[in-house]
Amino acid sequence: MAQRKTNGSKLFMMVLYMVAACSAIPISDLLDRASQRSDTLHSLSTTLTQDLDSHFPPMGRVITPRPSMCHTSSLHTPIDKEQALQVSEADLLSLVRSLLQAWRDPLVILSTSANTLPHPAQNSISTKVQELLEHTKSLGDGLDILSGKFGPAAQSISSLPYRGGNDISQDRISRLTNFHFLMSCFRRDSHKIDSFLKVLRCRAAKLQPEMC
Amino acid sequence: MKKVVEVFLLFLLLVFTPHAKGTGNSPPGKPTLNRCRSPEKETFTCWWEPGSDGGLPTTFALYYRKETSETVYECPDYHTAGKNSCFFNKNDTSIWVNYNITVVATNALGSTFSDPVDIDVVYIVKPNPPERVTVIVLEDKSWPFLRVSWEPPHKADTRSGWITLVYQIRVKLEQEKDWETHHAGQQKMFNVFSLRSGGTYLVQVRCKPDHGFWSEWSSTSYVKVPDYFHREKSVWILIMVFSAFIFLILTWLLHMNSHSLKHCILPPVPGPKIKGFDNQLLKNGKSEELFSALVVSDFPPTTSYNYEDLLVEYLEVNVPEEQELMLEENKDLHDGCLKSECSTSDSDSGRGSCDSHTLLMDKCGEAKEEERQTDQERMGTEAEDMVSPDMSSGRVKTWPSVFSPLPQYSSNTLDEQSSLEMAKQHYLSDSQFLPSSTSSYLTQPGHGTKEALGPSYWEFCLSNKQPHLLHPQTQARQQLQAHSDVDISSIGRKQAPAGLQSPLLRPTEYVEVQRVNEEDMVHLQPVVSGCGQNNCSPQMPQGEDYSKVKGVDSDNVLLLQRNMMEEDRCPCEHQETNGVKENCYTSSTVTTTQKPTAMPVQDEMVLGMNGYVDTATMCILPTY
Repeated sequence: MAQRKTNGSKLFMMVLYMVAACSAIPISDLLDRASQRSDTLHSLSTTLTQDLDSHFPPMGRVITPRPSMCHTSSLHTPIDKEQALQVSEADLLSLVRSLLQAWRDPLVILSTSANTLPHPAQNSISTKVQELLEHTKSLGDGLDILSGKFGPAAQSISSLPYRGGNDISQDRISRLTNFHFLMSCFRRDSHKIDSFLKVLRCRAAKLQPEMC
Repeated sequence: MKKVVEVFLLFLLLVFTPHAKGTGNSPPGKPTLNRCRSPEKETFTCWWEPGSDGGLPTTFALYYRKETSETVYECPDYHTAGKNSCFFNKNDTSIWVNYNITVVATNALGSTFSDPVDIDVVYIVKPNPPERVTVIVLEDKSWPFLRVSWEPPHKADTRSGWITLVYQIRVKLEQEKDWETHHAGQQKMFNVFSLRSGGTYLVQVRCKPDHGFWSEWSSTSYVKVPDYFHREKSVWILIMVFSAFIFLILTWLLHMNSHSLKHCILPPVPGPKIKGFDNQLLKNGKSEELFSALVVSDFPPTTSYNYEDLLVEYLEVNVPEEQELMLEENKDLHDGCLKSECSTSDSDSGRGSCDSHTLLMDKCGEAKEEERQTDQERMGTEAEDMVSPDMSSGRVKTWPSVFSPLPQYSSNTLDEQSSLEMAKQHYLSDSQFLPSSTSSYLTQPGHGTKEALGPSYWEFCLSNKQPHLLHPQTQARQQLQAHSDVDISSIGRKQAPAGLQSPLLRPTEYVEVQRVNEEDMVHLQPVVSGCGQNNCSPQMPQGEDYSKVKGVDSDNVLLLQRNMMEEDRCPCEHQETNGVKENCYTSSTVTTTQKPTAMPVQDEMVLGMNGYVDTATMCILPTY
């Protein structure tokens, strides 16, 4: 599965590279492809969160850290539709890329942590986290190539370092809580990515209204 | 003290006041926020469920707090969405932001807070049902189908890509209860095939955002599919007509070929077929024609013959001088189809003609006409059977069955001999074959007798009248004689053909009565003269031959006379009717006639002296 994903991502990159080189493939198709990937990404994260919640002690809710404490919260993203529709395509793409970039390291940490997560569904969680990692990487790589088509503004990426530390706390509850918190942050960010890409897709496919 | 009493009274008052009221007011029960929904990811609404009101008018208030700030806001709109609801308009809605919402129920006695709920608007999207669902019936190569088309809910902004909707439609017949669901993806149009003609269909559509909840089903659209049964019917009519046509053709063909089919399925049972034998004639009872036909085809002629004529009193057996002559004659006889005619005239001077009265008994023949008839019939079929030369017209009355066999001879390799034999056989074998008749006695030499007929025997029915046994024609006569000679000699020649040869060569040979069958037929068999008991090689018919019929005595004994020397007569002589002596067949007198008299035959066997075969009337004629 991992190899398939890497192959898929490689293929995607190749395709995008070719696009960059020859511009034979229309942007709308590429964006369509990208939005499909982001859709998968978000679905995975939703499933993962639900798996975690199934066994997460309700009382843990109280001590759940607030989402505003996500490491990506400093990134200013539109908070409603009007704002989102006013953002230029390059900026939107830049936002997407920044988000994707910001999650590369935390996902690695999550993946590591998932191997020893004290959770009944640890196996499936671990697998899904692995998939998330691959998807994120492939999408990021593809969009890196695609951004060349959108001008210089798309090239800038905001740096959003993760400072959570490699070792998520020792005790079980803390680890679970942190894991859950990170997952919820990722779920939201993946939704943002998906939404932005779909807006971009719709904008690029003026001649194909059925895509929107 | 007073204070205590006052406090006590106050306390009692406080306690009993609620009871005095009877209903019991209490602060309101805890309300619960049961759901919040956003139809287009721009606004959202929350509904709560009030708890018990505690008997007092209760008011509700919703307070919310966004995650980014600590400010608590109250619901801006309690009415738009109905009772116990709070509507957040676009300005108050932020996405990708957690809302912490709490509902408070308040009455006169107090207020109760609900549990707080955290929501993110993007996760609670449930669009409105699709709008303007239209269903029309279109035709695809004369087969109808439904085309369903719709619009997304007007609030959902799919054009900008802000919200992406996927659709689902479901169809069912009016009278059915199960829906048929189809996933339509993002398209706004769908075709439904495989419709039942004349049915009414119900169609509904719903939608869902990419990461949200399904909407409610749209209102039902009814559509009636027109009848296209008549089109189907016409096809069926065509098919019926076509198959009826084919059926008719098949029936006609069958009728045409019924005969051949009958032959195929029920082939006729082959019956015995005799060349030249016409069943119809037989059925008609015209035996003459029947047998004449047989005669024509090389069968011994069986025209009406006089049995009496056939009988000869004695058989005159002559030994031709030259074998060649005999051979020739034989050949002639052999080749030709001799008709059976019994002519009374006996041109044969006595060379064993059929007409010789000494050969056969008249009585024999007469009496045995019936038998002969049957014999004749039998004869054809029983090749190996004894042929009693029985010719009605012929002088020689030999049983029909007498004549058949001389198979040995036929199988003789030597042509001449065989021919000789043939001739003899013919002569012998033809019951119909009139020995007296001139020509064609000898029919088919090989007819039926080619095969190794074990014993060659021939029966004579001796009759008083001894018509010429031999055919009148000289040739025939000679041949007949030859035949008789040969036959005689060959009679009882059960040996290998080799043995036959020599005797065949010999003109004069023994005739030995082999047996008498029940029909009073004398079975003669040739005797190898000169052969001893043990070692008679049949090949050497020593000089004994008799083919001379001496006469028939009163007892209907055919007396044969030996022509030549008798030195080598076979010492072993005894009659064996079935004499299976190795090589030696002795002659024996044969008294024919009946079975009862068969015994006497044997007794009289020794009649003949010197190894003669006294072929007395062996056979048959007992009953005449």
